[in-house]
Amino acid sequence: MILDLHSHSIVSDDSRAKVENYCQWIRKKAIPVDGFVLTEHRLYDDVSDYSALGRESGLLILKASEVETDYGHVLVFGVTDALRRTFDFGEIGLPLEKVVHESARHGAIAVPCHPGRTKVGMCAHIETRGEPEGVQVIETLNGGSRGNENDEALALAERKGYHRIGGSDSHIVSHIGRCATRFEDEIHDMDELVAALGAGRCEAIRLEDGAWISLP
Amino acid sequence: MDIAALNEKYVGLEFDEVHFDIETEPMVEFAEACGETLPKFTDPSDPDFQAVPSYTARFHGGRALPEGFPIVQEKNFDGGKTVEWKAPIRAGDRLTGRSHIHDIFEKTGRSGGMMFIVHRMEFTNQNDELIAIVDWKMIQKLG
Repeated sequence: MILDLHSHSIVSDDSRAKVENYCQWIRKKAIPVDGFVLTEHRLYDDVSDYSALGRESGLLILKASEVETDYGHVLVFGVTDALRRTFDFGEIGLPLEKVVHESARHGAIAVPCHPGRTKVGMCAHIETRGEPEGVQVIETLNGGSRGNENDEALALAERKGYHRIGGSDSHIVSHIGRCATRFEDEIHDMDELVAALGAGRCEAIRLEDGAWISLP
Repeated sequence: MDIAALNEKYVGLEFDEVHFDIETEPMVEFAEACGETLPKFTDPSDPDFQAVPSYTARFHGGRALPEGFPIVQEKNFDGGKTVEWKAPIRAGDRLTGRSHIHDIFEKTGRSGGMMFIVHRMEFTNQNDELIAIVDWKMIQKLG
């Protein structure tokens, strides 16, 4: 089961991609993913319902968030109303340890994304703030990374023993599926996704010439 | 920069009104510059001749921000425009553009913290029909 765990739709302030167009693109270009997760910036989209679109297109479409913390950007999978009451998703500079802790307490999981990225990745902040507590999983393959940003993320995961995920970080339709996450089990909903991430039953992969490449 | 205070003071505040007379020749020039080939955008003799949907992006108001808005010009850059088309613009129309601050928010990126100011300009025609909403994002680097 392969899911792109990091994507943005027009619900995010900086994306021009419509979810319908992501589905059309995946099918037209035969991108080998089984679905994707919409991780909108600084909010959780509790309005849009993509279940019918998912059924029509044969893709699993799930919703999550990308929040901004003192250690950079963090994906939150398994967002609930109760979790949203514990911190303001719209704030920048949220304490990472609070986001991680509250997510775990509410059955969700917080995953620092593009950790090798300047200023908005975890690696840069570890030097000044120390190692954060509670992180289990990080994004080691991000489709928007430049230079050696993904290498730095992988080195961090190896050093700390973090589980690894991949995502395209697509903001435009043609970027969906550049990177993704392969799961050992079938994923049908967000609860199963959170469980698989927590158990580390996944690996980060990237698409190269139409085939998936695993990281070492 | 206290974003919450800026929001409270400025969001929703209308601060500018300007008028534009729509002429045929600039409509055609703009359409051709956009690479349009449809006669309804390029040929004034077409019975459905009208401006291209993004035409209102070319217009500016009398001022970019309300008087007194705290902006540091050397840290400010253009975040682009989004045009929401509502109705056709025809040659001979007289448009009114009214500006207000639609949103102010912060985010972080590779270059650090940024404040986004969304200047919304709503265009109506001589019949008071809403024809376009243009959101212009101005980005102020923080720190």
